[in-house]
Amino acid sequence: MDQILNVLIIGLLLGGIYGLVSIGLNLIFGVVRIVNFAQGELVMLGMYGSYFAYTQFNISPYLSFLVVAPLVGLIGIVIQRFVIQPLRAESNMQIFATFGLLMMFQNIMLMVTKGEAYSIGGESSRWSLSVGELSLSVVRLIVFVAVTLITVGLHIFLNKTLTGKSIRAVTQDKLGARAMGINVERTYLLTFGIGATLAGFAGAMLTPIYSITPGVGGNFILAAFAVVVLGGLGSVWGAYLGGLIVGVVEALAGYYIDPVLRSAVWFMIFLVVLMVRPSGLLGMVGAEEVGFREQN
Amino acid sequence: MKKIMNDPKITSSTSHSTATGLRMGCKAVLHTALLTGLLAFSGLTSAQQTLKIGAINPYSGPMALYGTEVTRGYELAVEEINKKGGLLGKKVELIRGDASTPQQGIATVEQLANNDKVDLFLGTYISAISLTASDTAARYNKLYWETNAVAQNLIDRGLPNFIRSGPDSAAFSTTSVATIKYLVAPALKKEMKDLKVWIEHEDSIYGSSIANSQKISLEALGAKVVMMGAHSSKSIDMNDSVLRAKQANPDVLLQTGYVPDGSLLLRTIRDQGVKPPAIVFVGTGDTKETLDALGADFIEGLLVVGYPKYDISEAYGPGSKAYLKAYRAKYNAEPLAPQSMAAYSGTMILFDSIKTAGSTEVDKVRAVVEKMDVPESTYPSGYGAKFTKVQNVRSNFTTAQWQAGKMVTVFLKEAISPGAALKNLPRKQ
Repeated sequence: MDQILNVLIIGLLLGGIYGLVSIGLNLIFGVVRIVNFAQGELVMLGMYGSYFAYTQFNISPYLSFLVVAPLVGLIGIVIQRFVIQPLRAESNMQIFATFGLLMMFQNIMLMVTKGEAYSIGGESSRWSLSVGELSLSVVRLIVFVAVTLITVGLHIFLNKTLTGKSIRAVTQDKLGARAMGINVERTYLLTFGIGATLAGFAGAMLTPIYSITPGVGGNFILAAFAVVVLGGLGSVWGAYLGGLIVGVVEALAGYYIDPVLRSAVWFMIFLVVLMVRPSGLLGMVGAEEVGFREQN
Repeated sequence: MKKIMNDPKITSSTSHSTATGLRMGCKAVLHTALLTGLLAFSGLTSAQQTLKIGAINPYSGPMALYGTEVTRGYELAVEEINKKGGLLGKKVELIRGDASTPQQGIATVEQLANNDKVDLFLGTYISAISLTASDTAARYNKLYWETNAVAQNLIDRGLPNFIRSGPDSAAFSTTSVATIKYLVAPALKKEMKDLKVWIEHEDSIYGSSIANSQKISLEALGAKVVMMGAHSSKSIDMNDSVLRAKQANPDVLLQTGYVPDGSLLLRTIRDQGVKPPAIVFVGTGDTKETLDALGADFIEGLLVVGYPKYDISEAYGPGSKAYLKAYRAKYNAEPLAPQSMAAYSGTMILFDSIKTAGSTEVDKVRAVVEKMDVPESTYPSGYGAKFTKVQNVRSNFTTAQWQAGKMVTVFLKEAISPGAALKNLPRKQ
């Protein structure tokens, strides 16, 4: 019984990581209607930023995210303004452009680091909580708490503030929103900026957990896309729930079936959801089509 | 050419007679031909006086760091041989060929063979690149001397131009199993038959082949392999494997993989409170990244099987200290990894083979290599030279242990420096 509980907790904490990486991607996906292949690389930039702050100024990632995340957000705004926006008439080209950004960011970091892996947190990442037979990694627990707070915060922002409501309006009906006087381009800029900031924040939170390499973003992105589609396009709670589902399924499959098959199991669930409910578990029915139709 | 153009006889006035003009024209042509011939001859002489070696490694992309590091070993060997007058009376020139993928390996070898006219090839940090690059070199009938790629199939395919001076992947298995038998079991005060081993490996052919070989050898020695875990090198969670292993309560964790998954595994066993008394890593785990990721306290006592380190005894690796000194002087830095000294040692064996063969031709070098019988501890990495099926069987990996944030060689016995010894086994963590 203890073991099942342990596996479930591990799954939830892993789900927190997936949710954290996916939430910004989902926002961009849902609002700007861009499959941002470079989202993992924005996470990677956040990790390098935190590493730099730690090694150069001895600032913990739990503090440096205050600077690192907005900086990555700024990169996101620049991407939206100077790469995505000029290509707004070419939705396919926008996707290729984000793929180009992925290659660019990876290779820039390869040039800077020469491919050497970095790590921090030798001592700080070793905190763990033990409750009976259960063992909890504190750094992963922090990620879980952070993604929960961000999800709640983002929900409040999107539902209670005027800016948030304008983002939702653009998500639901771009033309209608424009007719109501909402500056759609500025909303896109803001959304991409928030999505990139969240990626930078995720990077900072993951720095004490993983080795940092130029390709580290790619390790998360495949799962993040699955989480986004599973949870629901454009749904903040969808990314959160999708992350937790993928995390728990992966942990259960890895422990009770075979570690090698853990990804295969949740990809099967992902495929089933895609066939039965293409908009995802919490996504608005038809949301997966509306944006693309509008762009045509 | 400039001299000819300025020759007053050639630039003379057009008022000269046609016959004189023709005579002058003939002379000019003769001069030109003579000069061209001389230039061509001098070029030929220059080409003949240079022995060109194509150094195939990844110099761009994610593996560039180690590709460059390995090549530094070649460069130091070339520098040394040139100081001694070169090879076969020629100055040795190293030409880098960037191959960060197997496909690039083919293109780079073709370019070096066709355009640069290299005499032979030297490589490689990555087995998959070595595979295609050496295959392409065979089509040009050029020698491919391998110093660092370890895959077993590089030898098994029986390529006529391929010779390997460094240890193969099977040596990772034999050295790690020997480390457990001769170092770990006595330190844990256990017989091999009482030892429970958890083998964890990344799931590509590299990790799987070594792990399978380890399992066979350990079971042959009576040890119990209580768990075989496989994971992707890009894995972002290893709790499931670790929880499974926790149930098995192993004495030894034996891991083969890469840097990120190795660090993640160590972090996970720490978080889950799994405390195997001995941990043996194969291939990685000996860099600053591991130290930064886990801290000196946690990795204290961790054993790492890999290329001989720079702290090996001078008796085992004669010239290893001099190599380190030369490296520091040339690159103004500490070596990133011991791979460069292995590359250096391998290149020195190559040079000795070419000297004896009096040629770089595949058949002649191969004939020499097959008869080589140089004892171990001749070259800086502790290598000797005795080849079986073009594999140098007198090249070994060694085992080092993290002690107070530094790697100290603790196995093979003869490689241990005076004063060094195995410590903190069983591990305290």
